[in-house]
Amino acid sequence: MASTGKLRQRVPVSARPNFEYDRIQEEEHTDDVFQNPNKRHPIEKILETDNASVVVVAVLTALAFALRFYKINHPDQVVFDEVHFGKFASYYILGEYYFDVHPPFAKLLFGLAGWFSGFDGHFQFENIGDSYTQNHVPYVGMRALPAILGSLTVPVVYAIMKQSGYSTVIAAFSAAIILFDNAHIAQSRLILLDATLIFFMSLTIYAYVRFQKLRYREFTTEWFGWLFATGFFMACTWGSKVNGVLTVATVGVAVLIDLWGILDYKRSPSMDYFWKHFAARAIGLIVIPFTIYLSFFWVHFALLPTSGTGDSFMSPAFQETLAGNEMLLSAQELRYYDTVTMRHKDSKVYLHSHVERYPLKYDDGRISSQGQQVTGYAHADENNNWQIIPTKALPETGRGRIVRHNDMIQLLHVNTNTVLLTHDVASPLMPTNQEFTTWPRDDTSRFNETLFQLSLIDAHDGEAWKSKSGYFRLVHGQTRVSMWTHSKQLPEWAFRQQEINGNKNPTEKTATWFVEDIIADETGEDPKERTGHQPPKVPKKMNFFRKFGELQLLMLQHNAGLTASHPYASGPLNWPFLIAGISFWTENDPQKQIYLIGNLVGWWTCVVALSIYVGILGADLLSRRRNSDPIPEPVRNRLWNSAGFFFVVWAVHYAPFFLMNRQLFIHHYLASHLASALIAGAVLQFILSETINHPISVEAPTMRRHKRQYADIGLKGPIIFVLFCIAMFSMFVFLAPLTYGTPGLTGDQVNSKRLLSSWTLHFAAKKTAEVVQ
Amino acid sequence: MSGNFRARRPPSPPPGAGHPPSTTTAPFSTARFPHPRQDHLDADARREAASKGYAPGRSKLNIPSGGLNITSGEVKLLIGLVLVAAAVRLYRISRPNSVVFDEVHFGKFASRYIKTQYFVDVHPPLAKLLITLAAFLFGYDGHFDFKDIGKIYENVPYVAMRMVPALLGVATVPLAYLTLRALDCRATTSLVAALLITFENGLVTQSRHILLDSPLIFFTALSMFSWVGFCNEDKHKPFTDSWWTWLVLSGLSLGAVVSCKWVGLFTIATVGFSTIYQLWVLITDIRIPPKLFLRHFTARALCLIVIPLLFYMTMFQIHFMILGSSGEGDGFMSSEFQHTLGGRGMEDTYADVAIGSEVSIRHLNTQGGYLHSHPSVYPGGSKQQQITLYPHRDHNNDWRIVNATHIDPPVISESPNGLRYITPGMRIKLSHISTEKMLHSHDIRPPVSEVDFQNEVSAYGAPGFQGDANDDWILEIDEAASRDRRDREAVKRLRTLRTKFRLRHALTGCYLFSHKVKLPEWGFEQQEVTCNKNAVRANSLWFVETAMHPDLPADAPKVNYRLPGFLAKFLELQQVMWTTNAGLTDRHLFDSRPDAWPRLRRGINFWVKDHRQIYLIGNPMVWWLSTLSVVAYVAVRGLLILREKRGYKDFNNTTVVKYDNLCGFLFMGWALHYGPFWIMGRQLFLHHYFPALYFAILLFCGVFDFITSSLRPRVRLQIAAVLCILAIWNFSKFSPLAYGTPWTKKSCEAAKWGKHWDFSCNDFLDDVSL
Repeated sequence: MASTGKLRQRVPVSARPNFEYDRIQEEEHTDDVFQNPNKRHPIEKILETDNASVVVVAVLTALAFALRFYKINHPDQVVFDEVHFGKFASYYILGEYYFDVHPPFAKLLFGLAGWFSGFDGHFQFENIGDSYTQNHVPYVGMRALPAILGSLTVPVVYAIMKQSGYSTVIAAFSAAIILFDNAHIAQSRLILLDATLIFFMSLTIYAYVRFQKLRYREFTTEWFGWLFATGFFMACTWGSKVNGVLTVATVGVAVLIDLWGILDYKRSPSMDYFWKHFAARAIGLIVIPFTIYLSFFWVHFALLPTSGTGDSFMSPAFQETLAGNEMLLSAQELRYYDTVTMRHKDSKVYLHSHVERYPLKYDDGRISSQGQQVTGYAHADENNNWQIIPTKALPETGRGRIVRHNDMIQLLHVNTNTVLLTHDVASPLMPTNQEFTTWPRDDTSRFNETLFQLSLIDAHDGEAWKSKSGYFRLVHGQTRVSMWTHSKQLPEWAFRQQEINGNKNPTEKTATWFVEDIIADETGEDPKERTGHQPPKVPKKMNFFRKFGELQLLMLQHNAGLTASHPYASGPLNWPFLIAGISFWTENDPQKQIYLIGNLVGWWTCVVALSIYVGILGADLLSRRRNSDPIPEPVRNRLWNSAGFFFVVWAVHYAPFFLMNRQLFIHHYLASHLASALIAGAVLQFILSETINHPISVEAPTMRRHKRQYADIGLKGPIIFVLFCIAMFSMFVFLAPLTYGTPGLTGDQVNSKRLLSSWTLHFAAKKTAEVVQ
Repeated sequence: MSGNFRARRPPSPPPGAGHPPSTTTAPFSTARFPHPRQDHLDADARREAASKGYAPGRSKLNIPSGGLNITSGEVKLLIGLVLVAAAVRLYRISRPNSVVFDEVHFGKFASRYIKTQYFVDVHPPLAKLLITLAAFLFGYDGHFDFKDIGKIYENVPYVAMRMVPALLGVATVPLAYLTLRALDCRATTSLVAALLITFENGLVTQSRHILLDSPLIFFTALSMFSWVGFCNEDKHKPFTDSWWTWLVLSGLSLGAVVSCKWVGLFTIATVGFSTIYQLWVLITDIRIPPKLFLRHFTARALCLIVIPLLFYMTMFQIHFMILGSSGEGDGFMSSEFQHTLGGRGMEDTYADVAIGSEVSIRHLNTQGGYLHSHPSVYPGGSKQQQITLYPHRDHNNDWRIVNATHIDPPVISESPNGLRYITPGMRIKLSHISTEKMLHSHDIRPPVSEVDFQNEVSAYGAPGFQGDANDDWILEIDEAASRDRRDREAVKRLRTLRTKFRLRHALTGCYLFSHKVKLPEWGFEQQEVTCNKNAVRANSLWFVETAMHPDLPADAPKVNYRLPGFLAKFLELQQVMWTTNAGLTDRHLFDSRPDAWPRLRRGINFWVKDHRQIYLIGNPMVWWLSTLSVVAYVAVRGLLILREKRGYKDFNNTTVVKYDNLCGFLFMGWALHYGPFWIMGRQLFLHHYFPALYFAILLFCGVFDFITSSLRPRVRLQIAAVLCILAIWNFSKFSPLAYGTPWTKKSCEAAKWGKHWDFSCNDFLDDVSL
């Protein structure tokens, strides 16, 4: 559907120098093509009627609902990522701010489903295996949402194929691959985001196919309708999960190919025509989706007005918009001679020092200054207290004593009466970074090396330094290193505390600190009283776009940061072949488990179909270069444009994962699997018959009519379909205990279900040799 | 200066002008390249000829000449170029007389080669072998340790060693000239290319030290030159002697480039894509019969795949032949591999293991060594005696296999003289001979891997004490790993070296396990041994390395490691190199990401000493112009595609087609030598850009050739001269950083053109004369 050049060219005959050649080519194939709809096989004729189509859809949908709702209340425990997404739903109900890497749309739906089914939000989904029934969580209502969307995906797949001009049987074939797929079912019976993602992704494909079919009726109401529908569904996909951005990319690629065709001077002799098309797509596929995407976040922020678990991810300015936030409540301006404790923003350790000294010589032979140790310590302690010493004259009282952005300060370690210092000596663990130590306060010989510039983050000139909310970097005046720490521990001699050193990049992002608490001020009074009684603080306002921008950036950073290894993470190359699944949930007593794995028959059919498809394209390319033309023109167009679009969907949803360094799981392939099911249908049609329903696009009134052709795959289509469904269903039933988590399996049964040796199922019977006594 | 050769090379004719007058029948011909230029063709005629001309003799007139056509004037010019390049690259090459940057590594490797001590490096051996050869010829005995940057050389022929990269760097200059000439550029253009490469500070700096990049660039240039030469031959007439010569030369130089550094694979990819394109044109041409296509295909497969592979393997064969004795690289290799190294060999040992045998047990997967215990205890946990893996032979690795049941085990398999062999499922204890304690495990977390599924393993007991049930282990033979055609017994009972087994703790069901985790100082940094309930198969496999039984007769069958053949060693080393390479992810003070390279954002500090500095930084003008030309190519090519779509017939213009092909090829080379770095996670440096830079400079010259194609020769020459003088001026401005010559603080500060150029001006004196 992606490129339409060939068909349009047929109108102005004179513009096609090789028209004669093409006509001969087409006539060569006339024998293969059924021009008369009545000559088709009776089965085909029956199946192609609208009534038959309705029946097939109804059966498929009913089956889909049945398979997805079967025992949906089991297990009544928290399963896998329900830990996260269930929790997020409860936060929406409670209105507590949280942070997640995925956009909010699908989670909003869960919140809605939870609210609708009467969930009060007080269950926290702490651990996998926590009981729902004991905590009175209406989890079935929440699970019904993905189950409904997952079931509706099946008729949408059918509709995509049907609209693309494939036979009823073929469309049902593609739908069956999704219908009986264990992975799709397992994924859509639980409170997980993927079912929503897949549903809207398939709707996006559907809408785009409909839009393309209207390409000869450009700028009509219908045409705009489907264009905007594409944009809308695309936004919903993107809003469900970060991966949805791949659907956006898919549509982007397809539109670029389409526009490239329109750019051709034969199709749009004046550029105005092209720009009109361009503008329509820019509005429908960029402006509208983006607005919708923004609106999800608007709702998200609107629903989460109070402080919650997500506070600490956000900037101080953001946190001050949340009611009840600690930063909002207890932020205080700091004055000189205040004694404070400081913490590192990322690792949360306190800046600490103690009387012990660095050893003269480290294990790798380097030499230290033997100065007093400065470390990062995770617990509250007297030794975390530092006093802020001014380096300029201060007024006796008043606001002149407030510490401000870019001030030069000294930090006095109260317990040892020494001041913080750094110098060009390599730190204990990193030879490239500077050592931090302290120096007696009375000894002014190294005064210049004890000066640090206080650099508040995102601050304007003269901004006051506040506790809690005033994130800062401490940059050494002389050597321009910033005080930094990292997660490596120092050896025994420093009690395994964290190393503090000077990072040579003065604007290093991770060198951010904040003042945790004001212990005492100069006179030893309780500093909390000094500003007098304060009115209760009202959350501040912040521009929506700034909030959105900040959150979006954080989501990207955290998504890229999910690199920790996970026992069930797998590489993209394994996915299409189902090399490994994910263990979602286990229960010891009756040996039940849920293991996310696809239907082996369906997935491998898809892999075979993909390779056949690539083979056909290659052979076609080569044979056309060598001047032979084995495929009739309409069939080839279908193969390149319609199946080609599905192939783009598949590739764009799959290939980028090879470049990602984050944790990857097999459920990331589900969108591509859906696309490969579409390709499998297209390939089956191609194999079974040289005929095709053509034309399927709505033709413009002024166009010369194409000769109608009809697909006829005869009796063999339904037979293959039924056989395939039986195979699919048997495999589905065989794997069903792993999908539904019930009934429990004995060790030997588990072993027999382990079709590939790489599946890591639980409760497998051990094949160990008998112990010889 | 260039007047005498320009005469042979009229500028491309304007489109539609037909063939130029036949003034170009050159008599120049040598035995090596027997195809004298018959006529000068414009690009269209060439294309036409190319599409027709595979069958010889069809249209003699329109076939482009193959090979290389340069005039005698150019030969003189080339000699001049080589002299200039040599002067630039060899100037004061003996300074500094101390170790610079990565000479630390590559110098050390030369020492290892000379001492034949085995080492492992992430780069293939060719360039290091060349350096070693130079060192060896000049009498280096390998005693110097190249420990730190700045260490003064003592009795090291470092000048000879530096000469290898330097001379190859010099040789790159004429290659650039010849490549562009073979690509049908004008002599002026080629001269500009040669001079820009000569005066590229980065290339100069890199080629003056014992580093691998200069050989790499040389072989890249050589590959490109021979490939371009081959393409010309191919258009002329395939399957001639000179066609084969060029093709084989291409294959050999590709083998050489990939034997210097794995980056050479990008060069192979460049040639590969070019070949695939050629083959695609051939296979889709219906006038080529399948048989002829098959010949084309086989010839290329043979010369561009098999020859480079053989060359590459030969290099490793030499590598293995030289490195015959044990060294610091042993620890990376498997036990069989280590056994091939002198000093690591082992005497034959008894093949049979039975109750009462004294054995040493080795971990299969990690090369961590032998199951070991010593009279030190764990500081935490059970505070019992430590069990570790220890890489060296030692009497503390000796264990005795003891029957764990109070009755004798049933006789399943017995030796002729009544010894009870160890069979799968047998319950045994392992007694540590020197401390008389038993291998023991219990439900206590191990010292380092404190996770639920790990149990501590210790040595427990006392002389004479029977021990408890926690000392019992059940032997499981791993059949897949032990299956061996030459020793069928190995799966049935425990056989030294051949049987790979797991030890299951009888009471807790966990498996004896070790992994690449070191114990802290109290464990002498030996490898941790635990008992793991979720043990990965590979890390819980063990084997008996030596076995001794007092009752075995002296003539009992003995075994030893099977010496791996070359192929096995080669493959193992490739794998080790790959994992080591992928593991180089630490940050380095001067590393950089690919996006920084084309902008020349920052250099690398090579060496600072005595108020002098060597700092790798490119010639800014050359560097930025080359980047600019890449951008310009992409922009223009994009514009052309758009114009084509809108019905403009640009590609009917012969000049456009000629330069499109030429620049397209060079751009592909640049992209393939640069793009892949984006997806590499490992530590990267500015010098990884050099092969791409070479292509970018050639691309710049291609663009230059195109822009000046309509100018008069004199004007073109004048522009070229200005360019070269500017480049030389730039070069001289930064040359103190390349040569490590004295510089003043002031001129250093003035030369800091880029914000991130961090050569430390503070190290220079205020005044040179002081």
